[in-house]
Formats: sequence, C-alpha cells, structure tokens
Amino acid sequence: MKPPHMKLAAFLFLLPAGLVLYKVLFMGYPLIPTMPGKAFKVLFEATVKGSPGQELTIKLALPADHEGLLVTEEQAQSGILTFSILLDNETRWGIWSGQLGDSEELISYAALLVPRAGLRAGSQGVSPGAYPQGTEPGERALARRMAMKWKGLEPQARLKALRDALLGKWVHGEPSEEDLASWQEISRRVGRATAALILLRAAELPARLVEGLKVSGSVETSTSQWLEVWTGGPSWEKIEVDSWAWIPSSVTTIPLSKGGAKALEVLQGQISQSCWTVTRERLSGWRAYLERVRTSSHPLERWSLFTLPEQYQETFRILLLVPLGALMICLLRNIVGFPTFGIFMPVLMALAFRSTGLAYGLVIFGGVSLAGYLARSALERFRLLLVPRLSVILTAVILMFTAVALVGNRLGQSEMMAVGLIPFVILTMTIERLFVTAEEAGTQKALRTAAGSAAVASITYQLVDLDPLQLTFFVYPELLLAVAGLQVLVGRYTGYRLSELFRFKAMGRAQ
Amino acid sequence: MILEMFRRPRKAGVLGMNKRNADYIMAWNPRKAYPKVDDKTITKELASAHGIPTPETFRIFSHHGEVGRLDEKLAGLEQFVVKPARGAGGSGILLLAERFPGGFLRSSREPLTMEGLRYYLFEILSGIYSLGGREDRVLVEAMVHPHAVFEKVSYKGVPDVRIILFRGVPAMAMVRLPTRASDGKANLHRGAIGAGIEISTGKTLSAVHGKSILTKHPDTGNPVAGIQVPEWEKMLLMAAKASDMTGLGYLGADLVLDRDLGPLLLELNARPGLAIQIANGCGLEERLEAINSRWEEIGSKPEQRVGWAMEHFTAQVGFPVNSTGS
Repeated sequence: MKPPHMKLAAFLFLLPAGLVLYKVLFMGYPLIPTMPGKAFKVLFEATVKGSPGQELTIKLALPADHEGLLVTEEQAQSGILTFSILLDNETRWGIWSGQLGDSEELISYAALLVPRAGLRAGSQGVSPGAYPQGTEPGERALARRMAMKWKGLEPQARLKALRDALLGKWVHGEPSEEDLASWQEISRRVGRATAALILLRAAELPARLVEGLKVSGSVETSTSQWLEVWTGGPSWEKIEVDSWAWIPSSVTTIPLSKGGAKALEVLQGQISQSCWTVTRERLSGWRAYLERVRTSSHPLERWSLFTLPEQYQETFRILLLVPLGALMICLLRNIVGFPTFGIFMPVLMALAFRSTGLAYGLVIFGGVSLAGYLARSALERFRLLLVPRLSVILTAVILMFTAVALVGNRLGQSEMMAVGLIPFVILTMTIERLFVTAEEAGTQKALRTAAGSAAVASITYQLVDLDPLQLTFFVYPELLLAVAGLQVLVGRYTGYRLSELFRFKAMGRAQ
Repeated sequence: MILEMFRRPRKAGVLGMNKRNADYIMAWNPRKAYPKVDDKTITKELASAHGIPTPETFRIFSHHGEVGRLDEKLAGLEQFVVKPARGAGGSGILLLAERFPGGFLRSSREPLTMEGLRYYLFEILSGIYSLGGREDRVLVEAMVHPHAVFEKVSYKGVPDVRIILFRGVPAMAMVRLPTRASDGKANLHRGAIGAGIEISTGKTLSAVHGKSILTKHPDTGNPVAGIQVPEWEKMLLMAAKASDMTGLGYLGADLVLDRDLGPLLLELNARPGLAIQIANGCGLEERLEAINSRWEEIGSKPEQRVGWAMEHFTAQVGFPVNSTGS
C-alpha cells in the first residue's frame, strides 16, 4: 500500500504530464519550448518613377504562409500610391498603383516571418499536373522518350537521375544523338527552367518553378529561381535553376511567386534601386508563441496565458516561477538545512533583485542592512516599544533607499534607483531579526543566517530570471502542479538533513 | 568516506529533524493542544490542577495598562523571576535577586531601575520574545534555589532536567548545565552543556557541548558523568503526568530540583530539540519505536509507564540499548 502523499504526488505529476504530452503530440508544441525562435525580417525597397498621364502599376510577389513560416507584422509604404494585396492561386501579390507623374516615390514592404511548427506542405493534392503552357506534342513525346529509362526508379532516385541528366550525366543510358540535339534546341527556346519542368512532368514528378529569396548569409539582395519537386515528402526537394544545385533543407527559402511568374513586374513606369533585404532575427520565444496563439481557435490556446494583455503577462512570467523558488527554499531548508531569516523572505529578496540586478541588489541589501543594524543598535538605548521601533527602522530604511536613489541618479546608475516596493518591508524585518539574532545567539550565528539568506536569495533569483524557464512555465502552466508534487514529496522527506550529518558526527564515532 | 558519513547517524539510530517533525510531532501532537504548552501560565494552571508542583506564581501581567503602578504591583516581592509566558528556548527570562534603592539587583549583580523593568515588561507584552510576535503575558514567579547536587558541574544559574516523553513514556533525559559561555542559562544553543541521564538509574552519562561530546564541565573541570539525580523516579512520574494533562504524544518536560521544594515542573515543550541524543550518546529512534511496538505491555497508568521505561531504558555510555528485545 502506498502512503497517501505518494498518491497525491503521483496525481500532481501525471496530470501535467498528460497535458504537456497532449500539447506536444496533437498540437505541435515543442517538448522544450526554449528553442531559439529563428525569425526573418524581410524588407523590399524600391524607388519608382511613373510616366506622365499613365497609371503606374507595380506587382510584387509577397511571402506567404509556407512550410513552417508564418507571415506577421506586415507593413507597406506606398506614399501617394495605393497599396493592396491580391491572392492569386498560390501567390500573394502586393500591388502599388496610382498616378505618379514625373516624380519619384519610395515604396517598401516589410514583414516578419516567424517559424511555426505544424505548418507543413501537405502531401495530398500533389500531382504531376499539366505540362507547362505552350508545350508542343513533339516536345512532350521527346521528353517522355528521354524519361523512359527512369521509369522503374523510386521518385527520389528518379529525381536524382533527372538532375544528373540536366547536368549532362546520363547515368541510366544516354539518349540518341539526335534526341539530345533537339532537346538542347528546346532548352534554348523555352529556357532552362521550363525545359526542366517538361522533363519532370514526363518523369511524372510533381514540380513547380518558384522565385524567391534564399537566405544563406544574413543579407540577400536579389531573388533567385528554383524548382520545387515533390518526391513524397515530407517537404519539397529544391534545385536551383542557375546551377541545378540542390538547395539543402538547412537553407531557408522564402518563396515569393510560384508557377513561373516574375516576382516583380512594373507596368507603365520605371523602377530603380529595387532590393530585398533579409535579416535573421533571434525572435524571443515569447513573440513566436504570441503569434501562434493569436491565430488559433483551439480551446487550450484560447485559454493560454498568451491571450492576457501584455502588461499583465510580464507579471505572470515571474509569478509562475515563484513556486519554483519556494521549492528551492524547501530543498535548501529541509534537505540541506540552510539557515535563513524567515521562510519566504529570500524569495521576496530574489524578486526585489529583479529590478536592481543581482550584484547591485546584494550590495544595496547588504549596505542598507548594515546601516539599519547600526541604527537599530543606536535605538536600543531609547527603549522604544516594539511596533513603533519597527516603524522607525522602516522609516530609516526608506530614507536610506531615497539617499541611494539620489546618489544613483547623480552617478547615472539607474539600478540604484530601481528598487520596487517589496524591499522596504523585507529589509525592516531583516534588520530587526538580524539584531535580535545577533543579541541572542551571537554575531556569528547572525552573520551565518544573513549569508544563508543572501545565498538562497541569489540562487532563487538566478532561477526566476532564467528566460527559458519562464517560457516553459508560461507555455505549460500546468507544470505548477508538478512543482506542487515535488513540494509534497519534500514535505514527506523524513531522512536526515545534510547539516545533521555534521551535527551528529560525534555520535557515530562513539559507536 | 562520504557514504560513511551518511550511514553514521542511521547506524546510531539518530532521529533527524525532518523525521521528528513529520512522524512524531505532526503525527502525535494535535495542534489544539499546543496552547497548553506554549503559554506557561496555562501550563502552570493545568499542572496545579493535576497536582504537579511548579514554582509559585506571584503575578501575571496581561496588558500594558497593568504595568503602570509597578511599585505597588510588586510590593512585597524581594526575589523573583520575570518570564514571557510564550517565550521559547529560555529567551527573555530575567532573574531579580534582591531589592535595590530605586529598583532591583539582577542575579548577575547588575542593577535594574524600576523604569528599566517597566520597559522590559512592555517589551515582553509586545511579543518580542513570543513566537511570531504575538501579544504576550508576563509571568512573575518564585526563584528556584538549585539543589546542591549539580553545584560542582554548573557555572551559576539553575541546571534543569529535560525529559523526552513519547506517548507518556519517558524515552530519554538529560540535565542541562549552565556554563560561563551560556551566561548562567541552561539552554544548549546558548552554550550550556547537556549531560545524558540514564532513565533506569537516574545517573548522568557523558555530556554534549555544541556538537562535541565532553566528560568534564568546561568551567569547573569536574567530571559530569556518574552523578546520581535525587528523586529521579518522582521526576519521571511528574513528567509522565504532565504528558497526560497536555494530550501531546511527543513532549519535552523541563524540571528543576529546588533545594527546599524538590522537583518542580518548569515548562513543557511540544517541539523538543534533538541534541539530547548526543548527550546520551544514543539515538532516540529505537526507543520511540520500542514504545510503539510494545505499547500493549506498557500499561496506561503513569506509574506503569515510568516503571516500564526504567526497566528497559538503561544505557552504558555510547551504546544504545537494544530495547526491542529482538
């Protein structure tokens, strides 16, 4: 028979485990939600010039939600032109239009592309489709004849053979001299890309021509063309048109126009200095989730903490980690046997450190405690009653904080001014306890307890300040139940404290 | 080496803080019984109702207003002790040995003016010595004149005998001897030494000072072991009765030996410390388990429980007795 507290702890562990597992398995959440959010900032800028009396139109293919990238925070600048977005099959077109006359205008489009788990190219509905428009029957027959040799191969191998052929290596047997000559003729006429598409169709491989941005460095200034071929997934294989080189899946591609249309077209006007800029952004995991939840209708996500107004989210990030800080205190006190002033005072201190930073926080706390201790010693001979005496210390603490803030202002140290509201009360109680402990149990014991409190506060602060941990608990707030489970377990830990091994050391020896 | 360190307390049957709290205090001490031991005025009332002698209570101050005409209130008192009713661990105890023009002389021979005493009483009433800063009461009671038996092994102050009782059965005992370091106070964490007492005979064993084991008093140099505590059985019986009146299963009873009045119950503690194990060179756990497992044969009367304990809990220095008989 298991003791009841074990059942409670098991329940507290299993419930969040189930919820987390559900989110991971069925909602595409990452197991560890701390993966750096890779995002891309895409910027298109151009200067356009119209011709008098003519309506200027600029069509620009825009990034669309695609293969794990979600388009967010779109912004377009159009000056006196009007801007609109048009959806055409798989391509989103941004269209600037209007009378511009002779003057120049700067237009721009910017978007933030955020990775989104679970947004994948679907495998259904991918079929070879039709031959590119304008392909003649003779050309089709020729392509089919050339592709005949790869018929028995798996799609993946077929694509590999075809790519080799495009590079001039006919691994599975070269076609006749005559066929090769006419194929080269066709290639010259329709272009490399279209010729390759004809051959892919003949080999029954679904494929499409894409113009878009390939993110290799941090900045990319022009678009490139590649073929996307479907060989069964999980994602499209990509081959660069210029060199027939594979684009490895590690390279992020941002498709703009699909199906062979040009990504940028200018009607009745001139465009100069058009350029694309792609910068990698280390998006904080926070924004990545925010975007995800904003567009979701799943009940679990509609009740997510991410739906809170942002100024309140900030508080809950910290609040969710406070129980973890309390767990730390449980461990340090009940298993290690650390002496601290008060039970949760170190947690409050850790929270106060958040606004001051650890080093400054410790210095300020230490300095004010010391000054307060001296003030308390001075007060001793006035024999004030307890509550008024505490009030005097509180006043002294606030005076000292004010002084520190004014000095900080002079020195330009904002940390010295950034003390929240909590520290006053904590410090007052700490000073009184420090004094009473020093009087009753000796200075050494008081200093040891003070050092213990500072150490626990520092450890707790480091913990509460961990961004990945904050995010994990924010995404999976149910983990708090597991924390409670651990607290229950510590609550029933009846073994020795580490400090007791030293305390009872003499006894074992007598054995 | 490190493993050895982990095993040592277990092998010696030492009761750790966590286990004491979870398995003994929380399991056997109902919360509603705490006020009976946390407030000394209540403890003393209960004790007198159950025929357990305690130092005579002279006055009790409950409110700040009562402290006003202190002169009149203390009229007729020459020598007395001032205690916070809720003070823990001997804190806040003031010994006034005799009258002095305008006030009193403390037992340390320092003078204390009436004004100083009033301030001291205010402090106690405000809860400076009480757990959690709760409002407190002041107990003014008779000073104890220690029995001569421990004279050679104490430095000033009043030695007291701590008896740990589990389910009303005396499980372990020690006498706490004041030292120069403890300023005449009989509290181990202030530097007093604790000498274990063999339950069966009432003879002292080795002593603990801080974390180490001693055989001689640090100030007087006299051996602490082998002293026969007078009226030992009577003390055990008083402790057993005190346990009954509180309803607490795990209890520490503090008694003193007055040279004229004999054993007196001083106070009770629902969370007695664990250093007593070092003083006895013996872990508590085995004894507590023995009391549980042989509960049927022990008997319910205080006399029976004391008899059983005296029969079973014997100890040679440093060796726990295998009291389970297995």
